Amino acid sequence: MTDPGAPVNPDEILQASAPDNGSPFSSDVQPAFARSSSRQPSTDRSSSSRSWFTLSSTREERFFLLLAVFIGLFSGLAVVCFRLAIDWTRIWLLGPVLEPHTWRLIATPTVVGLIVALLVIHVFPLVRGSGVNQTKAALYIYNGYIPFRTAVGKFITAAMAIGSGQSLGPEDPSLQIGASLASALGRRLELSRERLRLLAPVGAAAGLAAAFNAPISAVLFVIEEVIGRWSAGILGSVVLSAVSSVVVVRWFLGSEPLFRIPAVGLMRPTELLAYAFLGVVGGLAAVIFARAIGYFRPRLRAWPRWTQYFQPAAAGLIIGLIGYLGAPQVMGAGYDYMDQAMHDQFTWKVLATLALLKIVATTLSFVSGAPGGMFAPTLFVGAMLGGAVGGLERALYPGLTGSTATYALVGMGVLFAAFLRVPMTSVFMVLEVSGNYSIIVPVIVANTLAYVISRGLQPTPIFDLLTRQDGLNLPSLEEQREQTVLRVEDAMRPPPALVLDAQDSVEQAVRRAQDLSGTFLVRMSPSGWGSVTADELKRLGGEGKGQMTLGSTLLTRNLPYLHPDITLEAALRHVYHVPLVPVVHRADFRRLEGVISRDDVLEKYKMTEED
Amino acid sequence: MNVASLKAFTRRPPVIVAGLVVIAVLAFLAVNRLVTRFREQEKALARHLYERGVQAQDTGQPERAVSDFRAALSYARDNFDYQLSLARALRDTGRTAESETYLISLWERTPQEGAVNLALGRLFAREQIFDRAIQYYHNAIYGFWSTDPDARRRDAQFELIGYLVQHKAYPQAQAELITMASSLPHDPELRLRVAGLFAQVRDYEHALSQYDDVLQTEHDNQAALYGAAQAAFQLGRYRTAQGYLQSAVHADPKNADTSQLLKTVTLVLQIDPFAPRISDAERNQRLRSAFQTAGDRLDDCAMTKGLDLSPASPAVGLPALKAQWLGLAPKMKRLRPPLDSASLDPVMDLVFEIEQETREVCGPPSGRDQALLLISQDRAGVER
Repeated sequence: MTDPGAPVNPDEILQASAPDNGSPFSSDVQPAFARSSSRQPSTDRSSSSRSWFTLSSTREERFFLLLAVFIGLFSGLAVVCFRLAIDWTRIWLLGPVLEPHTWRLIATPTVVGLIVALLVIHVFPLVRGSGVNQTKAALYIYNGYIPFRTAVGKFITAAMAIGSGQSLGPEDPSLQIGASLASALGRRLELSRERLRLLAPVGAAAGLAAAFNAPISAVLFVIEEVIGRWSAGILGSVVLSAVSSVVVVRWFLGSEPLFRIPAVGLMRPTELLAYAFLGVVGGLAAVIFARAIGYFRPRLRAWPRWTQYFQPAAAGLIIGLIGYLGAPQVMGAGYDYMDQAMHDQFTWKVLATLALLKIVATTLSFVSGAPGGMFAPTLFVGAMLGGAVGGLERALYPGLTGSTATYALVGMGVLFAAFLRVPMTSVFMVLEVSGNYSIIVPVIVANTLAYVISRGLQPTPIFDLLTRQDGLNLPSLEEQREQTVLRVEDAMRPPPALVLDAQDSVEQAVRRAQDLSGTFLVRMSPSGWGSVTADELKRLGGEGKGQMTLGSTLLTRNLPYLHPDITLEAALRHVYHVPLVPVVHRADFRRLEGVISRDDVLEKYKMTEED
Repeated sequence: MNVASLKAFTRRPPVIVAGLVVIAVLAFLAVNRLVTRFREQEKALARHLYERGVQAQDTGQPERAVSDFRAALSYARDNFDYQLSLARALRDTGRTAESETYLISLWERTPQEGAVNLALGRLFAREQIFDRAIQYYHNAIYGFWSTDPDARRRDAQFELIGYLVQHKAYPQAQAELITMASSLPHDPELRLRVAGLFAQVRDYEHALSQYDDVLQTEHDNQAALYGAAQAAFQLGRYRTAQGYLQSAVHADPKNADTSQLLKTVTLVLQIDPFAPRISDAERNQRLRSAFQTAGDRLDDCAMTKGLDLSPASPAVGLPALKAQWLGLAPKMKRLRPPLDSASLDPVMDLVFEIEQETREVCGPPSGRDQALLLISQDRAGVER
């Protein structure tokens, strides 16, 4: 019997479980709960006779939903403790007030950076890196397996790093803690591999929702960045876990958002120009931010191993110096300062400086290998940049009446969309955090511009970039989203010159096709399609069936047909066994739009590949 | 029950769910304890920082206060007092924009809160945004105050009146004062303050009324006596003013202001030719005296300014008045009682014109000339 907690060799799992098309949510796998292990022979250890799961598929689904609630509860509790741990560490290490020119600001992140490095290298090696990518890896590669030790390690090291002033956020670790708890619970309950795999995003959504205190954004993020597609089988569980974790967090920490939002709104439509400018600036800032991380991270990791003991400390030293010299705001997650920025408590020059320094500080912290996430720093940079742009625009054009808070809030969404490359989540995050739908237009305008600029200048999203640097090959969900879908209309040929009619006599058909060869389509009456080859026609004529109607003598009737908008992927199933498939109009099945064959499909794929 | 059946039992979904519920409840309790402890520590820390901020503010270190209040708020984000103190400290450091944003966000959450409205009123007053300042002052006056609401509302109203007076918006200030006076308790100090404000907005009638109220309970109240005398004086009720002033001088003979005003009032009453209940001879004498005083004032003024009052001078200004005066002089010698208004008014009109013109040319007069000028200001107002 295998110990559920024992480490798993990823290579073995990869070989044993690689899904048909690389996605755990393909159409074959998607109704995994519904089919359950009893319907399909499986090599899964827990679907064998010793599995406790002897329930019907419906009851299994219900149980899984119930389990999602418990995952949400436990993740919520863990995140509450995590946040307290960060706060406690910060007060204890840095003091209750971050004041410049205090020696603690330099000493603390340096010394703690050294300790964190030791822990990461020797005790918790898996906590290094992005929690989002590790959860994706668990989902796509390790069958939902995330060691419980990762949760513990992430909790301790991230609390120390963020609490000591490293410029990182608690959301990413929270997401991983949630996923890790869910995975551990699933293994303890000896769930099947399919279910275990689904638990990781469920836990991730719970962790993120608890960290953000925003369930909708968390669900969307997990769908957009981790799972990659809307799947009914998982959506219910993800939503339930996110909601239950948020309930727990609100129970203990209150329902207030992470920062207080003053009155925000779009005063006049001309202000959209100002928000468009913010989108451009935010998009460029996101590119700089992503490129800096993408450039320095592999280089620092390539340095001799002994330097890795000192990298977080060196990052801490520089960040501490920034704080010591007058910008302690860049230390830690920085939610308090986002709150202050929203309340007009910095001039636009200070805001711009803070945005720049935060990019530097976060890049240093992240590339040094200090555990922590980039969500909060992204929001911080966005808020500061938004506030700065708003302040500058107001100074130049006093007629612009938008508040700094509105610009800061839109700026958060802008960076979220452009840096993390989650456009949907970015919009909903701003709306959910602000609770105000009046700014949806500026948010959409700015986010779209920022996203397009970022995508144009930095084609690989940050999470994919990190994945590739780590040597993993996880599906890029943005690439999937943006991939051009090939359809039948892209590969079909025009209708053939000769289309026979079922009412024609065989003799007439032979006469019409006498100079032609190959397969002819036959329009059946009253509907449907058939086919006949030139050889078959000749044979029928030879058998003395010349006066009979073609319809009564056909061997191939009820030919499958396609429509122009059907994807080539779906069309492949039909063209495989049939030499020529009619492509017909959706409103009139007798109207032939074209024909398609297996060769046409393959040729199209080949051409696309070459392009 | 053997081990295998026990294991099978524990793998049944209801048992698993029950187990998870128990674990969740235990974890919930543990986290609750942890959070409660942490919250208490945060609260204490916030309190400490807040007190440090208040101390900094009291010792004239507003920047330090801002920093401490901000820190306090990071541990008790919803604390109203801390938020308000931060907003006030920001205002005191001149960061009015930050303060405004802060206060407006507080106001959005508690629009009825008197303290927030008052702070906003002060902020806009400081920024010279008149209408908004008044709007928030009014909100504060009619808003919610948790402790001693009447006094706090009154203080806000006093502040608003002060602001209106400062901006010379006397009618609005008068309206506020009338509203306030109607609900004022019988507190002499408050009444005196209100009376003083009435006097400032030149509503001497109400001012006198308030002083009278004070004097009904405190007959020897110096401030009330002097204030009432001033109000009566401004109203031209010199007899009434004289009464108050005599009481005031009696109570405090060393008060120079009171004595001086009493002298002026007495002089007005002594030389007023329009005074009732005086004999014809006396009226005649007062008229002659006034005419002579005006003539002397005219000559003195011309001499001071080096003006030529001879008939050759242009017939405008002081020379014209001198010519008129000289024209009336023979008539004055022939004047015999009883005097009717046809003979009294032209003389006094000239006297008043001379006093007013010489004030313009040579500055404010004193003594008898000042008394004549006062009589000229409101003939009807003089109690006869």
